[in-house]
Amino acid sequence: MVTKERKKELEEKIAKSKEIAREAFSKFNHDELAITWTGGKDSTLTLWIIKNVCEEDIIKIPKVMTIDEGDAFSEIHQILKEYEKKWNLDLEWCSNKDVIDAAGGVLGADVTVADLTEANQKEIGERLGYPGDKFPFEAESWIGNHLMKTVVFNDFVKRNNIKGMFMGIRWDEQPARKKDDYFMLREGDGYTPEHTRIQPILHFTERDIWDTTHIFGIPYCSLYKNGYRSLGAATTSFKMSDIPAWEQDFDSTAERAGRRQDKEEAMERLRKLGYM
Amino acid sequence: MKNVILITIDTLRADMLRSYGSKANLTPHIDSLKDNIVIFKNSHATGPYTQASFQGILASEYYLEYGKEKKLNKNKILISEPLKSQGIHTVGFHSNAQLSYFFGYNKGWEVFYDSMKDDVSDMYPFIRGAEINNKVKGFLTNFNFSKPLFLWVHYMDVHEPYIAEGKYLSKIDPNIKLSKEEMFSLFKNTILPRDISDKDKVGTLRSLYMAKVAETDRYLKELFDIFGSHNLLDNSTIIITSDHGDEFLEHGGLSHDGKMYAELINVPFLVYDKSFSHTTIDTPVSLIDIPPTICSIFGVQPAPSFKGKSLYPFNSIASYVLYGEAMGKIGHKEKDTDRPIYYIVKDGIKVIYREDGSNWQAYDIEVDPADTKDISAKLTEDKKDKLNSFIGRKK
Repeated sequence: MVTKERKKELEEKIAKSKEIAREAFSKFNHDELAITWTGGKDSTLTLWIIKNVCEEDIIKIPKVMTIDEGDAFSEIHQILKEYEKKWNLDLEWCSNKDVIDAAGGVLGADVTVADLTEANQKEIGERLGYPGDKFPFEAESWIGNHLMKTVVFNDFVKRNNIKGMFMGIRWDEQPARKKDDYFMLREGDGYTPEHTRIQPILHFTERDIWDTTHIFGIPYCSLYKNGYRSLGAATTSFKMSDIPAWEQDFDSTAERAGRRQDKEEAMERLRKLGYM
Repeated sequence: MKNVILITIDTLRADMLRSYGSKANLTPHIDSLKDNIVIFKNSHATGPYTQASFQGILASEYYLEYGKEKKLNKNKILISEPLKSQGIHTVGFHSNAQLSYFFGYNKGWEVFYDSMKDDVSDMYPFIRGAEINNKVKGFLTNFNFSKPLFLWVHYMDVHEPYIAEGKYLSKIDPNIKLSKEEMFSLFKNTILPRDISDKDKVGTLRSLYMAKVAETDRYLKELFDIFGSHNLLDNSTIIITSDHGDEFLEHGGLSHDGKMYAELINVPFLVYDKSFSHTTIDTPVSLIDIPPTICSIFGVQPAPSFKGKSLYPFNSIASYVLYGEAMGKIGHKEKDTDRPIYYIVKDGIKVIYREDGSNWQAYDIEVDPADTKDISAKLTEDKKDKLNSFIGRKK
């Protein structure tokens, strides 16, 4: 049971998020804004809040984008499809088809760098400095994550001339987020177009997300009910427990423990131990 | 329903434990298990550092099977994989970057905590034992015990930089009055550059290391208490081991480099089960056998790639040839010019071959368990041939 005080507290957090959303609408032209939506709990709450602001202010919901990494849970597809319709969203499904085709759509298959488009080859060779001529097709490996997410994201921003991207990042998600702001300017370089990341739910904790989701009847993917705490690619996300995400012990287990980690984090540890 | 728990303590030399001959009382908790334990007195890691040894412990594979690789080769199957496919819950908690997602060790685990998303300090560049225990406790509190559990818990605390707690250090050497900053400076200025010029400093480092062993034994006690409160001690077989030891000048060096001597290769290997009675096994065994042994306890078919064989039910172990391999690096950083080093143990003799020096060494481990007296002059061809057959297996 959620107390009155708790409900009030969450309403205040939502009000803060709406304030950020309205600030974004006043800073940017409507067609320069877009929303990233993964179908996960954080980006769904972000979308729900923006949808509410749009309904209250009688404006159209900005364009929504979702990235298909070629290794998504069918349950994620289901919620995206269902609410694309119910909420009447202008949803664009984005993916790096070139890489998926080169792998024949098979996870773990070797992708030959030379088979890819010049743009993808440049990302691998010049930007990542990967010297190999092959790499395995995985959504959350070092190269896979870059090609299937970062490149696709940058391409969407560039193609639609987007200046402000709404994202469902939270401060308590991981230590690297602690210093984030509601508005974060990403300066452009040869690969990334300049844009501002707008993060209206930064102040929500994992517990806030679940309480808000339940109190306000916000939709969520069924996988959370089966024990997933955080949803990444299908083959690299693992259940933390068999009990629903919101009943798990948030303090002593890491939300993202079931997700694949980055190279940089492992390297940083090894550096500290003197191995690098 | 049976559970198996694998506890690995990074960098723990066998001779730190009373049951392996230590005179110091560093591990009262482990010692207290003695009535229900099988002790492998001559257990050997497959290599002298994490990357080389954990491939044996978790994948029953030798390190260089497919050449020197940065990540776990995708043909190598982790113990978690056959267990998970047979409906056993596979759960791991550790804080060793070499065993993180990035290096491919996440395969087959339903829950895999590698701590890489968490903040760590320079002095404690890993999540410490007390916090690992908290993670395990949080997990068990939520866990639905409907299926058997395979739980792996790994502690990093004994690993350098050896920032020791006063309460443990004072029992080992009350004369050492170092601040944590001074201990850290010994790591930076003595261990990392492998500076062995000052024997006193090395002696101090050894005491700090011993204090970390005592501290880790305390974490182990807490962990057993957590298991007890979830009734896991009644229906679990608990394996306690380590990936490698540490050197304090025994063979002219520090830390754990690419060498195959006893202080690095001989690690504890104990199996606790309430239904066991105290048993000592002197036959030399290799940690390569841990994955098939775990499969055997669960009654699960081992993965076809496993190179070891089951030791379960631990009563009749026929002697066999042990083998290990690694890169012969000196210092923490691997270099392109490093060449492999190999060892076998056969008929009570350890044979070591360093590729960089075409250098054969041999030690009679029954009379000289610390590998101090090289008897390679008397080395017979059959042993060289045997080692060469392991090296040549891939060609």
